[in-house]
Order: sequence, then C-alpha cells, then structure tokens
Amino acid sequence: MGFILRRLVFYFGAFLVAVVINFFLPRMMPGDPVDAMLAQGARFTAEQIANLRLTFGVDQPLYQQFFTYLGDVFTLELGNSTFFSNMPVAEVLGNAFWWTLFLTGTATVLAFIFGATLGIVAAWYRGGKFDSFASPLSLVLQATPQLVFGIVVLFSLGVTWDLIPISYAYDPELTPTFSWEFIKNVLHHSIGPIFCIFIVQLGGFLVPMRNNMINLLNEDYITMGKAKGLSNTRVMLNYGARNAILPSVTALSMALGFVVGGALVVEVIFNYQGLGSVLYNAIINRDYQLIQGQLLIMTVFMLAFNFLADVLYVFLDPRLRKGGK
Amino acid sequence: MLAKLTKISTAVAMGATMMAGAISAPAMAAEKATLTLVSEMKPAWVRNFNPLTVTSRLATTNQFIYEPLLIVNEIKGGEVVYRLANKHYFSEDLKTVFFELKKDVKWSDGESFNADDVVYSLGLAAEGGAFDVAGIGSKISGVKKVDDFKVAVELAEVNTGVVSEIVRAPIVAEHVFSKQADLATFANENPVGTGPFTQVDTFTPQLYVQCRNPNYYEADKLAVDCIKMPQLANNDQLLAAAIKGDLDWTSAFIPDIDRVLVSQNKHYHYWFPAAGSASFMVNFKTPNENNAKAFNDVNFRRAFSMALDRQAIVDIAGYGYWSVNEYPDALGDQFKAWANPDVAAKYGKYSKFNIEGAKKLLKEAGYKDVDGDGFVENKDGSKIEFKILVPNGWSDFVNTVQIGVEGLQEVGINASVSTPEFSILNEKVMSADFDAQFTNYFAGPDPYMYYNTAFHSEQMDKARFGGHHNVDKELDALIDGFNKTGDQDEKLKIVYQIQEKIGSNQTTMAAMSTNYNYQYNTKRFTGWFNESNPQARPVVWPDTPERLLHVLNLKPVK
Repeated sequence: MGFILRRLVFYFGAFLVAVVINFFLPRMMPGDPVDAMLAQGARFTAEQIANLRLTFGVDQPLYQQFFTYLGDVFTLELGNSTFFSNMPVAEVLGNAFWWTLFLTGTATVLAFIFGATLGIVAAWYRGGKFDSFASPLSLVLQATPQLVFGIVVLFSLGVTWDLIPISYAYDPELTPTFSWEFIKNVLHHSIGPIFCIFIVQLGGFLVPMRNNMINLLNEDYITMGKAKGLSNTRVMLNYGARNAILPSVTALSMALGFVVGGALVVEVIFNYQGLGSVLYNAIINRDYQLIQGQLLIMTVFMLAFNFLADVLYVFLDPRLRKGGK
Repeated sequence: MLAKLTKISTAVAMGATMMAGAISAPAMAAEKATLTLVSEMKPAWVRNFNPLTVTSRLATTNQFIYEPLLIVNEIKGGEVVYRLANKHYFSEDLKTVFFELKKDVKWSDGESFNADDVVYSLGLAAEGGAFDVAGIGSKISGVKKVDDFKVAVELAEVNTGVVSEIVRAPIVAEHVFSKQADLATFANENPVGTGPFTQVDTFTPQLYVQCRNPNYYEADKLAVDCIKMPQLANNDQLLAAAIKGDLDWTSAFIPDIDRVLVSQNKHYHYWFPAAGSASFMVNFKTPNENNAKAFNDVNFRRAFSMALDRQAIVDIAGYGYWSVNEYPDALGDQFKAWANPDVAAKYGKYSKFNIEGAKKLLKEAGYKDVDGDGFVENKDGSKIEFKILVPNGWSDFVNTVQIGVEGLQEVGINASVSTPEFSILNEKVMSADFDAQFTNYFAGPDPYMYYNTAFHSEQMDKARFGGHHNVDKELDALIDGFNKTGDQDEKLKIVYQIQEKIGSNQTTMAAMSTNYNYQYNTKRFTGWFNESNPQARPVVWPDTPERLLHVLNLKPVK
C-alpha cells in the first residue's frame, strides 16, 4: 500500500508542474489570436485590430491571467474557445473526446493485441522465416512517420481507388442516431485513420514483446516446462508470454495515456473531428484556453494511465507486492 | 486566403481522378434553388449570427442576413450601389454625412426598417471598442436621427473617404439587439435581418442552410432560394468537394487550376481579377549599419528593382494568376486610371527587369566586389548581406522571393530568403528590426488605403505594410490631403504628386499585382460575374460586400 501512496504523491507533484507549464507554453509562442487571423490573410485596419484585441482579452497582464487560470483548473472551469466561436472549451473537447477515444483507442488496442501476439510468435520461432520477415518490417513501419502513411492511404485508398471517405467522422448529412446505417457510416469513415495509427504502433508492441520473450526463453523454468512434457502452446503462453508481457503492459498504458493527445497528424489529414484536429487548430490560431484545456486533459490521462500501470504491475508481479517484506 | 498547404493541394490534384465522397450529393428539397458556397473554412460550425462578434459570427451573417446601407463597388472605381439607403451626401463643410433610407424595407419578422435601427447600429460603432467592428469609432463623433428615414453621421474631422468604411458597420435590428443584456455573448441563433437569407433551415456542426427572407424587399430580384454551407476545414477538402461538383461558389487558392480542377469538372470556371499589389522593400532604419548605407541609396534600390524578373514571378510563383507590376510606386493595374504618365516615363525603366542595367547602375554608384566572393560591397568596402523576410507557409510568396533572390544574386547583391512565422515577421517589421521583406497590400475603392498603409509614417508601427520605415512628412501631408477634398480632379492631382515622390525615391520595389481567387460552377446556376460580365468583385469571403450583388444576379439553370 505504501508503494501506491508514494506513487500518488509523486503524480500529484507532476500534475502541479504540468499545470504551470500548460499555462506558459502556449503563451511563449510568438503572436496572439489576432495575429493568427492576420496570418490567414484577414483584412483589418489598425483600429479594427485594436478592437479585436479587446474582444480576445489578450491585453490583461500575464500574472493576472495566470491566477485566473489556476483558480479555473481546480474548479474545472476551462473557459471559452476563441477559435471555435466562443464555444465552452469543455464542450469542444467533450465533442472531440469520444471520436478520438474511438479512433486511437481502437487502433492502440488492436496494435497491442496483434503486436504482442506476433511478437510472441516471432520470439518462439526466432530466426525462422516469420521472424526474419516480420520483425524488421515492423521496425520499418514504426520508423515511418504517420504523415507518410496518412497521405499514402488518403490518396491511394481514398482518392485513386475511391474505397474510403477522405474526410469527416461520418457523412455530414446524416444525423447521429443509434442505427446500423449510422454505425456503418462511422466505421467506414474510421478505416483509413485507424489503419494509419495501427500500422505505426504495431512495431512498438511487436519488437519489445519479442525481445522480452527471447530473454525469458533461456530461463530454467522454460526448460523445466518443456522437460515436463507440456505442450508448446502452454509453455509459450503460460510460462513465457505471461512473464514477458509485463513491460508491454506499461507500454500499453503509456500508449493509452497518449490516446487523448489524439493522432494529430492522422486526424488533420483525414479531417477527423477528434482531439488531435482540435489541438492543431488551437495552436495554429493561438486559442490559449483551448490549448490549455487540451494539455490539461492529456496530463490527467497520462498520469492516470501511468498510475494504472503501477497498480497493474503490483497485481501482475508478486515480487512488487511483497517488495517491502 | 493565401496559399497555405499548397504542397498537399498539389498532391491532391495529382491523384485526383475520382474523389471519394466528402459530401454526398445534395439531397435537399429538389424544388428549391440551393446555392452551395464556401465563405470560410472552420473545423466545425457553431451557431452564431451576431455580426457584432467578429470572431464568432458565421461568415454568411453580413450582407446575406444584414444588408449594408450601400455597397462601394471597388472594381468600378468606387461606384456606389444603394441598398438600405437610397441616397447619401456630405454637408457643405464636409463634416457630416447624411444617409436617406429606403422606405419599403422590412425586417424578416415583419417590423419595418427605419432610422432608429441605423442610429442604434452606428451608435454602437461610434462608441468604439469591441462592437466597433468596422473600426470607425475614432472617425465619427456622433449619429443623429433627422427623421424616420434620414440619419446624420457627424465626422470627427473632414474625411471624404469615410463612407466606404461607415457602410461596413453592420446594421442590426434595434428592436432585437437593444433588448440583449450582453451583446458580446448574444449568439443571435434565429436572426432577424434585412438580407435575402435570414431563415436558418438546417444547422449541424458540419452543415447549415439559410433560406429566403419572407419579407425581403427585393424578393422579385432574388432567384436563389437557399444557400448551403458545408463545413470544410482546409483547401484540400474544398478542392476534393469542388471536383466532385458539390460546390457552386468558392474563393480558394487552387494551384494550377486548369489541370487540377477545370479539366476534372467541365462545369467549373474561374476568374482572377487583379487585387492589391505586392512589393519588396528594404528597411531604411535597419540596425545593420553596413546594409543601411546601401538601403539608403536610391541607386541601390533601383538596381534591386531592376533585378526582379517580374514575368517569371507571375508565371512561376503565381501560376499566371497575377499580373506584372511595373509601376514605380507599385500602384498596380487595379488603379490604372490614377497613374501619372510622367512618373512612368521618368522612372519606369527602374521597374523593368534588366540584369545588365542593374549591374551597370551598381557599378556607376560605386558598389564593387572587393573581396572576390561574387557579391558587391559598399563604397567603403563594408559588406552588404541581408535576408528578405516572407511569412512561413505563404508558399506563393515564398516562391516569389526565391525568384527575386536569384535575380539579386545575379547582379551581385547578396540576398537570401528567410521564412519566419507570420507573427514573428510582423513584430520585426513593425519595430524596424529587420533588413528586407516582401509584402502584399490591401486595396480599397481608390488608392488612398494603399498609399496610407504603405507610406504614411503614422502607419509604420501598426502593420507590416510600411516596413521601409522611410518617413517623409511632405508625403504624409499629401496622403492626408486626399480625403480632405471631395473634388475628384483635386484628388487626382494629389495622387500624381504622391506618385512623383514615391517613384523618384524608389521607396519600394514593385513585383506584381495579386489576384482575387474565385471559382464558380455553371451546372446549377448562371449569371456569374466573370471577364465578360465584370460587374463587381466576385469573391465570396465575408470581407467582400459585393457578394450580395453577385447572389442577386444568379439564376438557377432550368
């Protein structure tokens, strides 16, 4: 129990630091929301620009903005977005949250399942045909930027062959209902982006799983298991994989923590209305409230999933449970 | 909108033979003539039709819901088209403008429109601050009701050019707006307007539709029943939807449009009338002492100007959409009628591409390559070396500067390109902390806006346009004088003097006149403005009031 408490205190400290950084980071970028409008070719006179600055409230002193912000964070008041036409930040993020959770969550879980499974197989038959093909390939995929996959998939599947939609989470003329037609539409729209996120993450799970597994396969208890005449599958899964999966669980929690960051590049390419697109637009348009809100959510999720990984570790690894004794 | 994300756009084009379904075919009631347009690009639509909140209101709010008093037709030299007003004139001392209003105009809820609405709306603007969206607060001192259909706007000082600015203030319904507790948060979800499309028919974050005002005063002229706005976040999506044929009226930057769009969809056409000019400039007050010596020499600036291959800039960087600008004061074809032929005769040769001439001029003025690096030094042997700033991501302008730099290097001037983010550039230019830059200008109905923003010393720390920081009080006085008179001949005389001052000094180095982007689809509608029907600026962006005249000119294809 002491272990978990110590972690909790650490996470709270990390949260406080992140909260401060979240405020100053966006404001350290040059320019303000009005500059961002000018940069996009808006035509304003000097007097109009001065009036706009009043509207945005960017003329208040920084320390004053900071204390307002601190109070807001602890009362969960996120303010209004300037870019999304004054919509409350909570609402903007709330709308985008579920789409991103669906998109990156699905891709990450799929990548974990496939990556870990293939990693186990690759390790078991290490040096074999599958291993010498799949492992390097997954490294190549992992090293390829999502931007490249995104554009290639968009133009091949989306534009040239017209197999998948190139924009939106669902057809804009459909009204969201709990009908098969709507769900089908959503799934169809998610194929491209999910595939792009999935393929890049796959290697991230496959390679570590394979390496851990290989290390473990030389352990005595594996030899023992084999000597007892247990089936290959049983030794592979119960003796090998169960132990090898520990580091991958951390990796999965970290990846799930990143989920709410959205897959920024993929969402922008496919015009998917998730948190990634929101963050991108917020940064481009210097929408401070929105950037802050988004960073806050990312911080909370990152810390929460890290904590979850710690707890899971205790559960999965008896050595930690008895560590104190 | 400038050429952002061009690379991706080009890539779209290359793969684009068949586009996937971004927006499915119009499934709207077939009997209604529905016009699909893109007047802004946003990640989602948020229902707000309050024209006083510039940053929140939808781009179809002004003109389409709230008509202006009158429209100043920029393409026709500032010709006035009356809308809610049917007459306007100045008092004899030029200190008051009177607007006489039409008597048969009704708000969409049936209330009649009258002077109270105008007094209320312009009164908000006169107070200045956040609701002064036209930025006229300091220019008008009061607004008075003369009678039910006549309003007097008192000016802070004589300004004969102020009408085109006053009419940009939205005229809202007094009986609705005056009842709101907080205008800043009022979203005006069900607007009461004077314009053609006041009834919000559909509204989702991805699509909204505005339909006919039941009480529209020019209902007999309006043939379009509804306007439909699909949400598109960027140029690529716009292009994809255009190729599919989903869009009728757009104003996007589309590179290589003939190949990318027109060859893909035969109903699509375009027209690119000349817009404001764009120029290179050196900073007379640069902190770099050695560069300053050269920058403050008119012969160096003339050689700079002669090193610019304007035709290549237009053809390559501008895809041929722009036009060459060889006016010594960079005025541009848009204001051809205002150009002083004497100035062109005297200084025109310095605004023509001439590598040999530039080299000769530099040599005669004493610039020599002393250290043998291929670039000239100052007379005293000190090095001339500078970067030309252009905003990051404005790819057509970055290419322009690249071509300019090639010419400069050929004549022996050591210039290179630098592409900082817009806000960094803006700050550096306004505070004179840079060497050289390239900028476009915005043009109004007459050359005043261009001269004022580009050359008046009071504007130099307010925007990037006056980045040369060359203060000339006589020039300031001439520019101020332009709007102190109502006499057209007098104005022309002033402009001629302004041109002589700028031309003889080669204050900036003109490159080209940019263009308005405009694409239209003839499948569902006719009556579009184009080269053979150049009635007004054809753009659909919200800062183009002429779009109201355009929409009234459209007829559905039978």
